[in-house]
Amino acid sequence: MKFTKLTGAVALGTMLSATAAWAEYPERAINMVIPYGAGGATDISARTIAEPLGDAVGKPLIMANVTGAGGATGSVAVQNAKGDGYTMLFARVGSHSVNPAMKATLPYTLDDFRFVTVYEINPVACAVTPASGITSMDGLIAKVAEGGVSYSSSGVGSLPHLASAMVLKEFGVANPLTDATHIPQKGGGAAVTAVLNGTATFLCTNSSALSSFVANKQMVPLLVTTSEPVVGFDAPTANELGKDVLNKLVGWTGIAGPDDLPDDVADKWGEWMAAATQDAKFNETMSARGSVIRLMDPIEANAFIQDQYKAFRDLVDELGMRIEG
Amino acid sequence: MSFTDSLMAGLSLVATFEAFFALFAGICIGVVGGAIPGLSATMAVALTLPFTFSLQPITGILLLLGVYKGGIFGGSIPAILIKTPGTPASSATILDGHPMAERGEAGRALGMALWASCTADLVSNLALILFAGWLASFALSFGPPEFFALILFSLTIIAGVSGDSLLRGALSAIVGLLLATVGLDLVYGTNRFTFGDPNMMGGLNFIAVLIGLFAIPEVIAMAWNPTAHLGKARTLGQSKVTFADYRRSFKSIIRGSLIGVFLGSIPGIGAAPSAFLSYSEARRKSPNKENFGKGEIEGVAASEAGNNGVAGATLIPLLALGVPGDVITAIIIGAFMVHGLQPGPMMFLLNADIIYGLFIGLIVSSVFLFLVGSVAIRGFRFVADVPKRILMPAVLVLCIYGVFAVNNNIFDVGVMFAMGWVGYLMLRYQVPAAPFLIAFILGPLLEDNFRQSMLMSGSDPMILLRGPITWFFWALTSITIFAIVRNISRKAAI
Repeated sequence: MKFTKLTGAVALGTMLSATAAWAEYPERAINMVIPYGAGGATDISARTIAEPLGDAVGKPLIMANVTGAGGATGSVAVQNAKGDGYTMLFARVGSHSVNPAMKATLPYTLDDFRFVTVYEINPVACAVTPASGITSMDGLIAKVAEGGVSYSSSGVGSLPHLASAMVLKEFGVANPLTDATHIPQKGGGAAVTAVLNGTATFLCTNSSALSSFVANKQMVPLLVTTSEPVVGFDAPTANELGKDVLNKLVGWTGIAGPDDLPDDVADKWGEWMAAATQDAKFNETMSARGSVIRLMDPIEANAFIQDQYKAFRDLVDELGMRIEG
Repeated sequence: MSFTDSLMAGLSLVATFEAFFALFAGICIGVVGGAIPGLSATMAVALTLPFTFSLQPITGILLLLGVYKGGIFGGSIPAILIKTPGTPASSATILDGHPMAERGEAGRALGMALWASCTADLVSNLALILFAGWLASFALSFGPPEFFALILFSLTIIAGVSGDSLLRGALSAIVGLLLATVGLDLVYGTNRFTFGDPNMMGGLNFIAVLIGLFAIPEVIAMAWNPTAHLGKARTLGQSKVTFADYRRSFKSIIRGSLIGVFLGSIPGIGAAPSAFLSYSEARRKSPNKENFGKGEIEGVAASEAGNNGVAGATLIPLLALGVPGDVITAIIIGAFMVHGLQPGPMMFLLNADIIYGLFIGLIVSSVFLFLVGSVAIRGFRFVADVPKRILMPAVLVLCIYGVFAVNNNIFDVGVMFAMGWVGYLMLRYQVPAAPFLIAFILGPLLEDNFRQSMLMSGSDPMILLRGPITWFFWALTSITIFAIVRNISRKAAI
């Protein structure tokens, strides 16, 4: 009896304080989970936005790398968190569109998250070494027909993995999974090295990961997937080659909360991101790394991610790339 | 631009107060960061990165390099004092460093670690400056088959760190190999031994396993029998390293530095295997073979030379090819890119002043490391004087904090305790922990490179013998195994 009363009182108290919290979210520091390792593309992007974003929020942002399993470990941590807006996730193309599309056994789906923004787009480029003798997409496709072509990636279920398969399919390779060999590596740096040392023939990945190799003439770009050309990449765009579908093949970074995130919290994030992305230093740092700053509000971000996810999922179904078990 | 012009341009770039101050501050941050278990050198570099965005490119990069070098040395401090490697690279240092501290020679072990680190650092920097181009092209001839042969050879280290019983060592290594298979399969992306738990999908966290295996058993042993250590005086950490020690270990230090340079210039291996390889080579060549693992100062020298030899050499693939050799250099590449610098062959033409400025800074860094390290040792070695009943609870708290901080994941703390019990049982039954660790580090590399080779060749095993580098390592492996077998049969005969 006494216990019920006490529980009731506690519950009432919690509810009251919870309502009070909504009125002035955020009233304490916000935990920001980065699902990838320190120094990676997601980490640098997250830590770069954290500075202007922290000013906009007005409360400290506590950045924590929770790494493992291609971003799944960190994503699960946020999926299971309370939807009070105090635990948010830096979502990335790998963890929140390629992985859900490819892995049947992933412990989360896109519906477990509510995206509040996407703020960065990374064009994807395909490249080979000069030693390969390939100079164009046609040359690469001709080589695939001869056989013995392989491509590297930063791991199974990563963007480069899916990107290469998608590009090959769009360029008319009947069965990208068997006509070319996928040689997965551990991490993006290893994926580039594999192409440089001849382990693999080509690689499709974020242009920022390739830009220094292209500038140093260690690699030849064959294609960029955006409709606009990418600075420093002397290669045709997907649209110039008549493959507009490949425009969907871009990397991105965004912020998400658990699926029960309330509307007013999402709106707050929309406002904060609008302010933070105005920051000159942020823009300068990100463009120097080859990213395109493109801010999306919560609704646009959700639509963008769902759209990309569906395109990837259809491709995975068509090619039979789904990873079961 | 001629060599002297470049050198002068570099000098004018780096000869500023800010540049040297950044380097010095970086080394201080690194030594302290490396000395805190869990806050590894990688983490220290990553945390410093955002501060470099607003600095001059050369100043920022020198700051990061300082943190890197300081961190790799700093890791040896807790390894020697509390049997907890501050960075994975210093796990080999435990083998002889901690027994020395137990004997009351913490100061001597730390001093040797510093001298060996600085010497190796210098050798490594010189190798970078003089042979960058050559070593880089050598590194690029390392594909999966070459890697496989090298790692296979490195696994023979296990025989060297098994102690008296090779069987126990092999058992330990097999458990290590087994636990290393937890996580996602590289080629198929399927779950292995995860038991449906998302926390297991990323594999067992390396630092959690490392700390669990080495530090926790000590804590458990202490809790089990709180008075066992009384009477065994852990005298003051006043002892100092002497020049005679240094001279005696000099050969091992140079050998370790060169091993570090070679392994460091090949992307993807890292400092820990290099330290173990250097340690086992030193043991094989040393007249005091029997003493290794029981507190031999040459063992400390060899492992510290092995891991610091990597630090300068990882910049070889970074500067000459634009390829990061390990996680830390991957972060440092970020600093280059933010400033619009693109590491690679063209950088030697376009930004020769920055390259030469870096070279000058690197040479100076060895001196700074010596200075900062000496002060740090003076401060830290008194940890050895703290009574065990106070030290052990503090170590436990540090370990829990450190392991949690690596990944902000409480699951890792659980892994650490589970591994602690495994380590404690191994301690009780005299199963050495080092083979476990080596297998845990090298196992995934061996498997991945084997499977990548098979993918490359369409499952034709002949690719594993595709060139002189593979032949060389296969030959080394055969000779070593032959020597081990002969030793065993000799022992059996007696």
